[in-house]
Amino acid sequence: MSSLDWAVLLVYLVAIVSFGVFMGRGNKKISDFFLAGREMRWWAVGLSVMATQISAITFVGTTGQAYTDGMRFLVVYFALPFAMVILCVTLVPFFYRAGVFTAYEYLEKRFDGRTRTLTSLLFLISRGLSVGVTLYAPSLVLSVILGWSEGATILLMAGTTIVYVIYGGNKSVIWTDVVQMTFIWFGIFLCVGIAVSHLPTGVGLRDALALAQTTGRLRIFDLSPSLTKPYTFWSGLIGGLFLMLSYFGCDQSQVQRYLSGSSLTQSRLALLFSAFLKVPMQFLILLTGILVFVFYHFQPPPLLWNPVALARFEREAPKNDVVRLEERYAKAVTERRVAAEAYLAAHRRSGSTGAEEYLGASREVDAARKEAAGIMGRLDGAVYRDTNYIFPTYIVTQLPRGLVGLVIAVIFAAAMSALSGELSALATASMVDFYRRFVRTEGGDAQELLASRVLTGVWGGFACLVALEAGRLGSAIEVVNKFGSYFYGSILGVFGLAVLTPTASARGAFYGLIVGVATVVAVATLTPIHFLWYNVVGVVTVFAVGLAITALARPRT
Amino acid sequence: MDDEDKVPLFGTWRRIYAAVVLCALASMGLIALFSHWDY
Repeated sequence: MSSLDWAVLLVYLVAIVSFGVFMGRGNKKISDFFLAGREMRWWAVGLSVMATQISAITFVGTTGQAYTDGMRFLVVYFALPFAMVILCVTLVPFFYRAGVFTAYEYLEKRFDGRTRTLTSLLFLISRGLSVGVTLYAPSLVLSVILGWSEGATILLMAGTTIVYVIYGGNKSVIWTDVVQMTFIWFGIFLCVGIAVSHLPTGVGLRDALALAQTTGRLRIFDLSPSLTKPYTFWSGLIGGLFLMLSYFGCDQSQVQRYLSGSSLTQSRLALLFSAFLKVPMQFLILLTGILVFVFYHFQPPPLLWNPVALARFEREAPKNDVVRLEERYAKAVTERRVAAEAYLAAHRRSGSTGAEEYLGASREVDAARKEAAGIMGRLDGAVYRDTNYIFPTYIVTQLPRGLVGLVIAVIFAAAMSALSGELSALATASMVDFYRRFVRTEGGDAQELLASRVLTGVWGGFACLVALEAGRLGSAIEVVNKFGSYFYGSILGVFGLAVLTPTASARGAFYGLIVGVATVVAVATLTPIHFLWYNVVGVVTVFAVGLAITALARPRT
Repeated sequence: MDDEDKVPLFGTWRRIYAAVVLCALASMGLIALFSHWDY
């Protein structure tokens, strides 16, 4: 990065931390600290809901996914607006009127203390571990692409966020999210604009989309009924609906956002506001990846996107393989460019669909890359993946000075906005669901505020520790990533029992949750079913077991 | 905590939910059009 890029990033970091600290003044009790005094407006909460959901790896990973696989990932978000409407009708009024700090607190009012403790504990374990991964993944990519130290990147990203979350709590989180989400939207439009402007002379947006369509990358609707195929229309609509209901309805990092609304109306409007914007936002991010894919038809892309891996490949792979593959790849890339130009010329003239030559050249490019990735995988002893490196590589190598720093700042904003909401939620759940119940039940406002700040700092430190150690955890990271999906559906099932079935008993909910989690783990371990269906399995199991136990335990009359 | 705020623009929650659902269906339709358009 040039000094101008550094200056842009530094200005962003100083400005956001100062703004966060400034807006977080005036916390006197924990309802101020955790729920922003319940005085936030819908647009601020709505932007915060979106900012918490989008992480840095969503930003760089989704563009990379569009590059390699196309736009079908978009189906995951189709159900989000429907989920928001369902939540506005069901869970949100219950939470808001109960005057709770955490979603799990509501379960004690409806069922009993142990159901609250178990669900909150499951949240703390899964979110506590995943917050470290949320931090580690973008730090790894940025450190590799920019040549920074991985530890320094983690500490810079987390340290700046922790400062304003400890000081201002949820008020700082929401206000910085407003700025960061606005900045991210600006960044998305900027990236689309840059990607369009980078198309070579004579190749327009329509041509770019024609090429992407020919390779199947614009295919979004796959109506296959398969339960194992990723991102089909049905898994997106049904599995995605349950995923979104779980995430927005039962994950404290989201529930805390809308509990900060100044009224139930404001909380509902916040969710509906984000429902309107989410699908277009994901569409634009994926479109950027598609345009980058087309751009690299006319500029030679690297054989491997991870520069550290590429250097190791050139150093450690058998010399014959390296020379042969690099020659094969360079030839394939050139042939693909020529074939793409010929295809576009023919397509413009007659709307020709004769794309065989172009598709053949594309397959050869993919095959050469796949062979190199296979060699890299054997060197690493693990599957080589570099999807997350595509977009950062594009930014650093193709964007002019100043804009590189700006887009890196947008990636930082995405990382920090997700991290801040998660840290605040972890501190809230540990303070309200555990500390105030089991450690110090009678504390004054000042003492509770201090304990809340300490807990925020502890979770921030834990996130850094997990992130710093993540490189050594290897495949354990994948386990952590899957961990949350084992619990989400079952926890949603418990909340469903709470609000939809007035007769469901506390015992039914508690054992239903345990059986639900066990069933999802079994399904995930023993079957190839795609993860989007896990939430459906969890909900159905908890409902079936919970209602059965309730019915069996009911005294006969 | 006041949950009796006036529902902006649409007047009732039922209408605002219907608008969100219609908007979601419309965006799916537009995306289908985008996906299948012959460029």
